[in-house]
Amino acid sequence: MTDAVFRETTAEPRTQAVPLSHLSLELGHLYMEDFEAGPEHLRRHFAQVRPWADAARAAAADRTGGKRPRISTCFLIDDYFTRFSSPAELVPLLLAEADRAGLAVDYLARESGCAVAGKVPVAEAVAGRLVEEPPPGSYGLRPPAAQTGWLANGERSPVARAPQAMREAAVWQPPKETASRRHSVFLDVELWSDAPDGQRTWSCPFLAAVWQLARLGLLRTEGEAVLEPQPHTADGFPEDWDELPPLLRLNPRADPFAAYRTCSVVPNRFLPVEHAVRVILDQTEVDPEALGQAARRSAGEKVAVPDSVADRVSYVFYAGP
Amino acid sequence: MGPAKTAPRVVLACGEVRTSLLPALQALDSRAAAQLLGLRADERVLLSERPNLYGRSPDTLTGVDCPLPSANGARVRVVGTVAARAALTEGRLLQASAYFMVPATGPDHRRPWGHYLVRPGVVEPLGKLPHEAVAEGVLNGGRHGDLDVGLIADGLHTRLLRHPLLDHRPPLRSRPTRLRWVALPAEPGAGPSIERFTLAEDELRTVRLRVPEGTPGEGLAGLCDDLALHDWLLTTVVRILDGIRLGAGAGAAGAPPARQRPRQRPGAGEELPAVVRALRPAVDHLLHLWMPRARVTQELAPLWDALEERPGFTRQWQTLVQRIRDQLTLHAIPSPHRETDMGP
Repeated sequence: MTDAVFRETTAEPRTQAVPLSHLSLELGHLYMEDFEAGPEHLRRHFAQVRPWADAARAAAADRTGGKRPRISTCFLIDDYFTRFSSPAELVPLLLAEADRAGLAVDYLARESGCAVAGKVPVAEAVAGRLVEEPPPGSYGLRPPAAQTGWLANGERSPVARAPQAMREAAVWQPPKETASRRHSVFLDVELWSDAPDGQRTWSCPFLAAVWQLARLGLLRTEGEAVLEPQPHTADGFPEDWDELPPLLRLNPRADPFAAYRTCSVVPNRFLPVEHAVRVILDQTEVDPEALGQAARRSAGEKVAVPDSVADRVSYVFYAGP
Repeated sequence: MGPAKTAPRVVLACGEVRTSLLPALQALDSRAAAQLLGLRADERVLLSERPNLYGRSPDTLTGVDCPLPSANGARVRVVGTVAARAALTEGRLLQASAYFMVPATGPDHRRPWGHYLVRPGVVEPLGKLPHEAVAEGVLNGGRHGDLDVGLIADGLHTRLLRHPLLDHRPPLRSRPTRLRWVALPAEPGAGPSIERFTLAEDELRTVRLRVPEGTPGEGLAGLCDDLALHDWLLTTVVRILDGIRLGAGAGAAGAPPARQRPRQRPGAGEELPAVVRALRPAVDHLLHLWMPRARVTQELAPLWDALEERPGFTRQWQTLVQRIRDQLTLHAIPSPHRETDMGP
């Protein structure tokens, strides 16, 4: 295997590298109802985002030690949970309102691309990489409390079985956060739900976690990068969401989409979702070679990147609807 | 590598391998092997055709937070992940292997889980690691509740055996073996060495290695998979020959038949002597599997030399193969001649 004379490509792992910026700055993550609320709603959103986006840029410049930081901006539109209008109508409106606030959207993504990008079942692949946090006392058995489709940040309350419940009338046992400091903030996240016909719907936090991994350049399928940005060559935007590439590069001179770190500026109603995202990221084993590539590249340009994937993600939650 | 740059040196690597015959009448071809070993939708199965057919699954991780076994009763708590993977050789021999590495020291409290997930296959001690005592403890088997790497290998093995590709009609009877191994640091400047290879009862083998600092755990697991595979072959073929009353005529008690009769040619099968019936599956399914060091890294390949010297793995294998061939040749001679030749 270490023989340099003879090689077999199918026998060697290979992982495609992706270009990386210093920061991926998300200018919004909006649902169809936000668009339904009209252009004024978008205008207020971008006006609120602007100062925080400037602050995030300044902080990124600080970390690169004087060099020009590579920063790309992105915007995520939900077309997964509800479908509304068309790209031809919405995208120009969105870009105009961002521009009015002095913001430029480099990359536009569709949320359904985080579920399935082209033919790649991205969400399912990430679900296969979850490694549950072991509670103390785990010595090699699979966690007995595993609940399919749910992920917690600790041990759930024990479920009293019927005979026991009759004997000791419902003595409640608290759940326990594994990484708690004295007191627990226990969170149990629903990752997906299955319809009676077997159709799986991924939850918003789970797709948001996939979105973070995409922005960190850590998603791979069989070693190949997924959710690669497609250039925007057409004049306008299509009538159907499905005809819009999952990830579109609007600005041909933009810095790379993926980055060492991410920052998202979102209204504070996203707080519970993003807490769940952190719980998911903290228990997702990403491709080790993709991690290694980011680590080597950042070390090469002397930029500190946290080891832990969840720690590469940051937020600004602004007050607002 | 980012995560490894500030890590304290690894002073112990441990693992356990399950080796068994794939319970299927026919060996799996490469495509079927890739299906069997595809433990993750988004990661390729590594497939190799030289010097033999071989497939290896991606690694899967199991989180642990528990004490390590130790010979002196010290209870060292560790937190981290154990890596496990499966391999299939020539579509016939299935191995499930789990391993972990332990650095000399670790933080005094448990870190957020994301810290451990970027160090796959590493468990970190809370405090200092008495590595010699722990190595001894691992080989002897721990108490209930201690980290059980064999349990993780077992879990993966069981998971694979449930695969719908398998018809559970093995062509011969055999038993799975377990090989448990530890690797401790070698003296500075010294190369890798096998300190001890023990055949214990209950199909358990233990191996104690000394390796230079920085030897990757994956390479060690690969070496031990290779040792386990060849030890399983010896064990299994010895047992097949052991169960046969050589020189007995047709119909005498042979090796216990496999649950399912071996593949037989229509018409000819029923007349085969017991010895031939017992030996034929070995020829069909096992004899071509011997290939020590096929996938052992260059640094660790010399470790085989010690086992070739004493007890002489390949020497024993060649003797066994020769015996099987001699028996089959004898039985190819029409029996009246054979009886006369074998007279006192």
